[in-house]
Amino acid sequence: MAMNESQAPSLAEKLQSLPKQVIYGILLVTCTVPLFFSVKLPNKPIDASIDFYGQTMKLPDNGRVIICSDWTNSTRGESKGEMEVLLKLLMRKHIKFVLMSIGDVQAPQVAKDTIREVNALEKLTGGTPYKEFEDYVNLGYFAAGEGTILAVNNKILSIAQGKKDFPEGAGPKDALQSPVFQGVKSVEDFNMFYLVTASSTNRTVLERITKCPLMFMVSGVMVPENNSYYAAKQLKGLCGGVKGVYDLETLMENGINNGSDSVESDLYRGEKIPGWPGKGNTGKGTAYYLALHFALALLIIAVIVGNVGMLLSKKGSK
Amino acid sequence: MNYDLLKQLVAVTATLGLYSVLYKENKFYRFWEHVFLGLASGWALVALWTEVLKSGWWDKMLGASASDGNTASMGYWMYVVLLPIGLMGYLVFSKKHNWISKIPIGMILGFYSGQQFGAWMTYYGPLFTASMKPILPNQSGFFKPADAAAGSVYGSEALTNIISLITVLTVLTYFLFSFDVKGKLLKASSTTGRWLLMIGFGAIFGSTVMMRFTLLIDRMYFIWIEFIKQGLFHMK
Repeated sequence: MAMNESQAPSLAEKLQSLPKQVIYGILLVTCTVPLFFSVKLPNKPIDASIDFYGQTMKLPDNGRVIICSDWTNSTRGESKGEMEVLLKLLMRKHIKFVLMSIGDVQAPQVAKDTIREVNALEKLTGGTPYKEFEDYVNLGYFAAGEGTILAVNNKILSIAQGKKDFPEGAGPKDALQSPVFQGVKSVEDFNMFYLVTASSTNRTVLERITKCPLMFMVSGVMVPENNSYYAAKQLKGLCGGVKGVYDLETLMENGINNGSDSVESDLYRGEKIPGWPGKGNTGKGTAYYLALHFALALLIIAVIVGNVGMLLSKKGSK
Repeated sequence: MNYDLLKQLVAVTATLGLYSVLYKENKFYRFWEHVFLGLASGWALVALWTEVLKSGWWDKMLGASASDGNTASMGYWMYVVLLPIGLMGYLVFSKKHNWISKIPIGMILGFYSGQQFGAWMTYYGPLFTASMKPILPNQSGFFKPADAAAGSVYGSEALTNIISLITVLTVLTYFLFSFDVKGKLLKASSTTGRWLLMIGFGAIFGSTVMMRFTLLIDRMYFIWIEFIKQGLFHMK
């Protein structure tokens, strides 16, 4: 009996050897349960997100932009929320856009699916759905990213030449015939170049686009790197990960320097930038933010438990 | 069951299949892994033709007649020259003729190198400029007031800039590999640089973990909210 007791694992050993299946199980529950509760956490948007919103809102209504969509379903958790919020902003300001991709062959289809979903959401809140070819034109995927982006900067019409758009219910159409390209001579005729990415295409774009202002929407892991570009004013604004999406959703609801509930910012001192209160602004950012906090809390607890176990075992061995 | 729900059901099964490896390696996981790989390869093959070769080469070479609102375009037969140049690349597999493959590879390297001159400056130029920050305050207060004039540097900003400068210099000294670091000052600087790099990597690791959690949360949202709650039970 005494021998059995001496062989039983100590508390320190137990704390350091939790079965991984148990940890995964706890993580799954932690990430799932908060999704059923609609809790809006308090939020103070960061400068990069405020600039992203402010600069987009300052674009002329009925303007024209380029969206380089380089994400696929592998980063849907972050990139889809970013794409949704960008599309909502552009649609509400009636800004036409060229859609292209240099990151992945699946990216154009994933972007088109998202546009279809956002169209349906905007229709529910009284917005006007975007029509392919009329309001946006899809140039599809380009294999040589570096050369393509250089061509976008120097001779944008050359990359659209020969490209067909495939609007629903119609045959293939020459992309250059789209109203989006009417009057376009160079990339300077576009008000902004947006990049939604979860890969290294951020650098390809940053190195080559010099004639059009840039704004990036990147995954959480890319935020530290891209913050440098934002700080060096290479980017007009930056949206990073779920925090960036939640920031933009908050800004869309409340606006900037726009009254008691709005986000106050020195970046736009003396300016009032409106939002669209109550117009279906909540999306993936709001839905995921609470669950993310619970997951991060679990991580911190796990680190503490592991370290306490290690300290106890060290103490026991002395 | 409608088509959208059926699509979702397949996606949910695939998600569960891929996550089942967390419990242990199994055939259900392997099956979905192979389905995923097959789909990705098939999609890439079709896209290679439709998105790259057809629109970027074939159609431009042959041209097109006017139809269905599309204008006619001239064919440029010179595009045919690209075919043998491209095929030369495959001679890398031939022991006798693999030198020929160096011609297209050389072309690609040449194009890329030419681009990089401009790209390098566009990328690093603003970063260099942004690193040059004032480290001496020109205003008496410590915290920057909301109505501060442009160009004014307050104590808090100067302190931030000093930290930034120290970080840049110490991290640079850590990467001095070309000679033996012996001096006390240089050694201390190098060690500080290493510590600051570790803190930076820690922040990046934190962002990585946050991203991975979000991907899991998204999958759970898809299964529980989009499929079960909204799809099966039609709840908002």
